[in-house]
Amino acid sequence: MKTKNGLSHLLNTTFANFKRNKARTILTSLGIMIGVLSVVLLIALGLGLKNYLKEQFENLGSNLIIVFPGNVFNEEGGGGANFGAGFAGGANFDEKDVQNLKKIPEADYVVPAFFKSITIEAGSEKTSGYVQGTSEKLFPLLNNQLVAGRFFTKSDVQRKTKNAVLGLTLAETLFINPERAIGKTIKASDQRFKIIGVIEKTGDREMDNTANVPYKSTFGKLNPDKTFFTIYLGTNNEENITTVKEKAKKILLKRYDKDSFSVTEQTEILSTVNQIFTIVNSILVAIGSISLIVGGIGIMNIMYATVTERTKEIGIRRAIGATQKDILNQFLAEAVILSVFGGLLGLILASLIVLAIRTVFPATINLLAVTLAFGVSTIIGVFFGVFPARRAAKLTPIEAIRFQ
Amino acid sequence: MNLTLLLSEKSARKNSSPMGKNQKNQQPIIKLENISKIYYLGDEKVKAVQNVSIDIFKKEYISILGASGSGKSTLMYLIGLLEIPTSGNIYLNNKDISKLSDKQLSELRNEYVGFVFQSFNLINKFTVWENILLPTKYRKSKINFNPEKKAEELLKQFGIYDRKDFFPNKISGGQQQRVAIARAIIMNPKILFADEPTGNLDSKTGPEILTILESLHKKFDTTIIMVTHEKEIAKRAEKQIYIKDGKLVKKYL
Repeated sequence: MKTKNGLSHLLNTTFANFKRNKARTILTSLGIMIGVLSVVLLIALGLGLKNYLKEQFENLGSNLIIVFPGNVFNEEGGGGANFGAGFAGGANFDEKDVQNLKKIPEADYVVPAFFKSITIEAGSEKTSGYVQGTSEKLFPLLNNQLVAGRFFTKSDVQRKTKNAVLGLTLAETLFINPERAIGKTIKASDQRFKIIGVIEKTGDREMDNTANVPYKSTFGKLNPDKTFFTIYLGTNNEENITTVKEKAKKILLKRYDKDSFSVTEQTEILSTVNQIFTIVNSILVAIGSISLIVGGIGIMNIMYATVTERTKEIGIRRAIGATQKDILNQFLAEAVILSVFGGLLGLILASLIVLAIRTVFPATINLLAVTLAFGVSTIIGVFFGVFPARRAAKLTPIEAIRFQ
Repeated sequence: MNLTLLLSEKSARKNSSPMGKNQKNQQPIIKLENISKIYYLGDEKVKAVQNVSIDIFKKEYISILGASGSGKSTLMYLIGLLEIPTSGNIYLNNKDISKLSDKQLSELRNEYVGFVFQSFNLINKFTVWENILLPTKYRKSKINFNPEKKAEELLKQFGIYDRKDFFPNKISGGQQQRVAIARAIIMNPKILFADEPTGNLDSKTGPEILTILESLHKKFDTTIIMVTHEKEIAKRAEKQIYIKDGKLVKKYL
C-alpha cells in the first residue's frame, strides 16, 4: 500500500506538472524524440542495407567461388582495410584466364561474366537493367529455373547467337507477362537480342533485372575489350572448394600480382560484408547519438529551470515530511518520463517512416532498435535528470520555503 | 534507530529548568540548549539566533513575539526541525536531533509536527483536497486511519467542504489558511507551529483562524507554538517568549 500510494502520487505530481507546462513538456520531449528517431532510423536503414547485400550473395548458391578484380575480399584485407585498392585498378580477366581456370580438374564449372548496367528497350518500353555476358553453365551453377522458354546453350555461345534469357523482373517490366516475352526482341546499346527464355525469380534484385546473353555475343560494341568482371567457379563436391580456390589463385598469380584479384567463397564475402556494415552502422549510430545527447541536455536544462521554479514547493514538501530521497525521486521520475515519452514518440515516428519506405527498401526495425530507444532514453533521463534532482533534494527545507 | 521508541521514550533525564507549576516534574518534549544560528547574506554575517535555551512541554500554547528581523521565525523553524542550528543542541524527547538521519527527521516532520505559514504555502497545482492529503503521501509506514475520511471530516469541521475540488488560488485567504491548518493536523501532530498565521488575513478572518488553533489546543492537547509581531495576538497564548536581535529578552518593548 505504501509504495503504491507513493508511486501514484509521484505520477500524479508528474502529470500535474506536465499539464501546467504543456508547451515546455512537448518541446523538451521533442529533443529526445528527434534523437531516438534518428538513431532508430539509422539502425533500420543500416540493417536494411546489410540484409539487401546479404540477400544478393546468398542467392548465388553455396559451392560457389568467385574471382573478383582487386583485393576487397582478401582474407588479410577483411574488414575493408584495403578498400582503397577496391575493384578499380584490379585485373581485367579475359578468355585466356577462363581457359586456364578450366584446367583445374576439380572445377566443374568455370563461368565468365561480363556485367554492364544499361538501358534496355523493347518496342516503346524502356527500363534500366543489366546485360550479363556469360556462358550456358551459369544457369545450372546458380540453380536457375525457367518460367518460360529455354536457356541458351553451348552452341549459342560458340555461334555468337543474339539470344537472351531474361530475369523475371525485367521480363515483367517490359512485357507484363513473361510468356509473352518469348520470341520478342530487346535492344541494348544498339544490339538486338531475341528473348528465348525467362528465369524464375531469384530474389537477387540485380539478377532478376538482367538480360543474360552468350558472352561471345557481347564482344564488340557492348564489350570491346573482351574482358570479364567476374569468373564464377563451382564444384559439385563441397570438399573440393579449398582445392579449387588454391589452384585458381596459383593460376591467376602467373598473370596478375596478388593484390589485383581475389578468389573468394561466398561465406567469406558475407562475413566481410557483415564486418563492413557493422562498422558503418556503428558510425551512423554514433552520429545519431549526438542528437540524443543534445536532447538530454535539453532535459537537464529544463529540469534545472523546474527545480528553481518549484523551490518553494520543494520546501513545502520537505516541511510536511518528504525526505531528500522523495524529492530526488520526484524530479528524477519527471526527467525519465519526459525522456521516455520523447523516446516513444521517436520510435512511433521511425516505425511509420520505415513502414513507408519498406516498399522500395528493406529497412527493418528490430528488437535492438526498440530496446535501444527505450534503454537510451531512460538512461538519458536518469543521467541528465539526476543533477537537477540532486540540487532539488539538497535544498534545506527552510531556504526552499523562503525562496521567492 | 526506532522512531516510535524515540517518540515514546519515557523520561530518563531530570528536568532542570522548571517553567511553570504544572511542569515542574515534567520532561520537556523539546529542549533547546544554547542554540545559535548564523547564516550569510552575501558577505554579511547574520546572527539570526544567539545562545537561546528553551524548554517546551507537552500541551503548551506559546507565542514567540518579536519585531520583523528579530529572528523569531528562525527560532521557530529551529524548534520545528526545519532548520539545523549552527551551534548548540536540540533534544526531542531527550534525543539529540543532530544525530538523526534525513529520513528520521523527515518522518518527524511528517508525523510529529505540523506547520501553518503566513503565506499559507499551499501547492497551487493541487486542489484543496490533494493539498490536505499531501502529508499522508509521505508517510512511510502504514497509516492507522483513513486519510480520505479524515480529510473530509476536517474540511467539514472548517466549513470548506464545498471547496474541496478548488485550486488554492481560487479561494479566499481565510479559506486557504483553513486548508493549511487541515494539512498541518491531518497526521495528528503533537506540536503545531504557526508562523504569523494571521499576517495575510483581514481583521475578521484573522481571529477566526486563531480560534481554530486554540480549539485544537484545547480539544486535542496539541502543543501550539505561534510566531507573531503583534502583542495582542501574542497575549492570547498561555506563555510568551520575547526575542530581540536573536536573543531572548525578559520583556518585550
